[in-house]
Amino acid sequence: PEAAEMWRALRGARRPAAATALRRDLGRAAGPRSVRQLREAEEAAPVFQYAGKAAKRKDRVFVWGFCYSGALGVPSFVKPDAGWKKPRRIQPTPYRLETEEKISSAACGYGFTLLSSNTTDITKVWGMGLNKDSQLGFQRSRRDRTKGYEYVLEPSPIPLPLEKPQQTRVLQVSCGRAHSLILTDSEGVFTMGNNSYGQCGRKVVEDETYSESHLIHQLKEFDSRVVQVVCGQDHSLFRTKKGTVYACGWGADGQTGLGHYNITSVPTKLHGDIAGVNIIQVSSYGDCCLAVSDEGDVFGWGNSEYLQLASVTETTQVNVPRHLPFKIGKIKEAACGGTGNVVLTEEGNVFVWGYGILGKGPNLIETAVPEMIPPSLFGWSDFNPDVRVAHVRCGLSQFAALTNRGELFVWGKNLRGCLGTGRMEDQYFPWRVTVPGEVVDVACGVDHMVSMAKSFT
Amino acid sequence: LNAAPRRPPRQHVRFLPVPSGGDGGTTGLVATRVPVLADHPLVRGPQFRRLKIGAGHRLDVKASGVFVLGMGHGNKLLTDLYNCHLTKVYTVGGLFGKATDDFSDTGKLVEKTTFDHITREKLERILAVIQGTNHKALLMYSNIDMKTQEAYELAVKGLIRPMGKSPPIITAIRCLQFTLPEFQLEIHCLHETQQYLRKMVHEIGLELKSSAVCTQVRRIRDGVFTLEDALLRTQWNLQSVQKAMWDCQLKVKAELEKTLG
Repeated sequence: PEAAEMWRALRGARRPAAATALRRDLGRAAGPRSVRQLREAEEAAPVFQYAGKAAKRKDRVFVWGFCYSGALGVPSFVKPDAGWKKPRRIQPTPYRLETEEKISSAACGYGFTLLSSNTTDITKVWGMGLNKDSQLGFQRSRRDRTKGYEYVLEPSPIPLPLEKPQQTRVLQVSCGRAHSLILTDSEGVFTMGNNSYGQCGRKVVEDETYSESHLIHQLKEFDSRVVQVVCGQDHSLFRTKKGTVYACGWGADGQTGLGHYNITSVPTKLHGDIAGVNIIQVSSYGDCCLAVSDEGDVFGWGNSEYLQLASVTETTQVNVPRHLPFKIGKIKEAACGGTGNVVLTEEGNVFVWGYGILGKGPNLIETAVPEMIPPSLFGWSDFNPDVRVAHVRCGLSQFAALTNRGELFVWGKNLRGCLGTGRMEDQYFPWRVTVPGEVVDVACGVDHMVSMAKSFT
Repeated sequence: LNAAPRRPPRQHVRFLPVPSGGDGGTTGLVATRVPVLADHPLVRGPQFRRLKIGAGHRLDVKASGVFVLGMGHGNKLLTDLYNCHLTKVYTVGGLFGKATDDFSDTGKLVEKTTFDHITREKLERILAVIQGTNHKALLMYSNIDMKTQEAYELAVKGLIRPMGKSPPIITAIRCLQFTLPEFQLEIHCLHETQQYLRKMVHEIGLELKSSAVCTQVRRIRDGVFTLEDALLRTQWNLQSVQKAMWDCQLKVKAELEKTLG
């Protein structure tokens, strides 16, 4: 109690004038000090305060993967500031990216990245990486005002043609192979980039040059407000508040789900097994698509060459959404990769199926039926029985899982260091990525990844 | 030990002259069993002069708890137990607000800081991160090729651990008590030293933007030996030692068979 009283008295004491203490020590004769003298010196020592009671946790963004495209947003990786330094090809471990605002949503495309914040400031979206098809909008070059940049090396603001720029908020961004979608809360969806297959939701113009294009198209005609946008490789999916799904873009693998294999240039509603079903989440990255309903069922359409939909059909292209009758429990979230798919159930179990490195060791290469990944690989044990997987994400050939403790696990093909483990080898079962912060969200791309984290204290 | 009854001395047959009467007649020899003089206690001296006692894992001066000793032939079991690489469990007590040079509360004061911003939730978050990075180190130092199916199976069961030299690794850590400024942690670790645990307490303090010193390090389990098997200072007598050795024989044998095969 005496010690506690002493701490209370010294609480919050800023650094006092150290001069008096110093003079006292210099004046004192040297020699062994008694216990009482030591205790008095200790009590008189100044107390430092590094963090107050109201200290907030800071939001951070970490990037890792292939650097040459500029998708990581660190210019010194591509063009080093000193002449003798060599450009860095791969960033193998998470690297902190300084951003001006708190980033609420991030998306990785094929060689480019979009970051967005839900602020009401004028600048809401930043982009970096490849811009050969204007997937990052028009980035005016500083050397020549008429030309635009082909590669953007640091997060540059993307000007959006908003009617009310100081009221509208950007909710979510999504990136495909050469196009991007930006979802706002009151002004619909903005699309930019390559439109050779109608994936931007506007009519295909023959011989259109997409590079250095100023065109940003706005989509507003849906049956209700759009709440999620997802980009596949060359197609786009829109999920509305009512639970309906719209699609446009390339359809040769049936990924638009509209019943034909042609291009669609206007967002059209999907029917099939999801007609009348309230869909709560859609996912796609390659040519296969998955949708989760509010009752925990999962529906799939698109490419099935890698056994993604082989549980319901033998055909390799499915152009109408089909219900996948898996008996693994109520499904909460699904994610589609290039060749493999992953779902998360309500109990917190992770199931994978498809082709490639699925996460159950080198022996499991392909399966049409979902296989569960044991929870002990995600940190669950008798010592920590409350660890659960909270989210799952997919890149083109890698998977990521976030636990409720804020840990990030990755597995799959380690293409150009995209896993972030620090090694260049493929990872056959879930492996922790050491991120200096509690990971809140992660976006996976082809050869790079972006994660949003909060600092620990 | 020396006061215990000894083995009876060996007997041998000697032909001794019979003590005859006064007049020197025929001195006969009679065969008699007599004890060998070389076995006489005054000739041999005390039975035990030295005992070979070996120590198990080190425990330094400022720490307390279970300390395993091997006697005589048991020293060979000590090396086998070391090669099993079993985890040890410690309760570590810490105090926020101070930083000293040797990380314990008896050292020279380096800095004092405030700690009223620390909550149990923040501490548990830091502990979760420590556990995560140490789990990763556990898999890395076990020197198993991660690309094989057996590595995957061992990882699922949680049986991967380094079976050779490795830096200290913490396999599990959790907070038992938290009343500012004191806190108590339970740490399960491998290949550690007590000073490493004190340094860990100091680093937890730094991570929480304050400072901490370690007040107590107590080993509560060393492989198969727990606090119940340990002998108190008042129990350091022959009977308790013998009973303790007898009780843990079976446990040690079972553990060695399970781990080393």
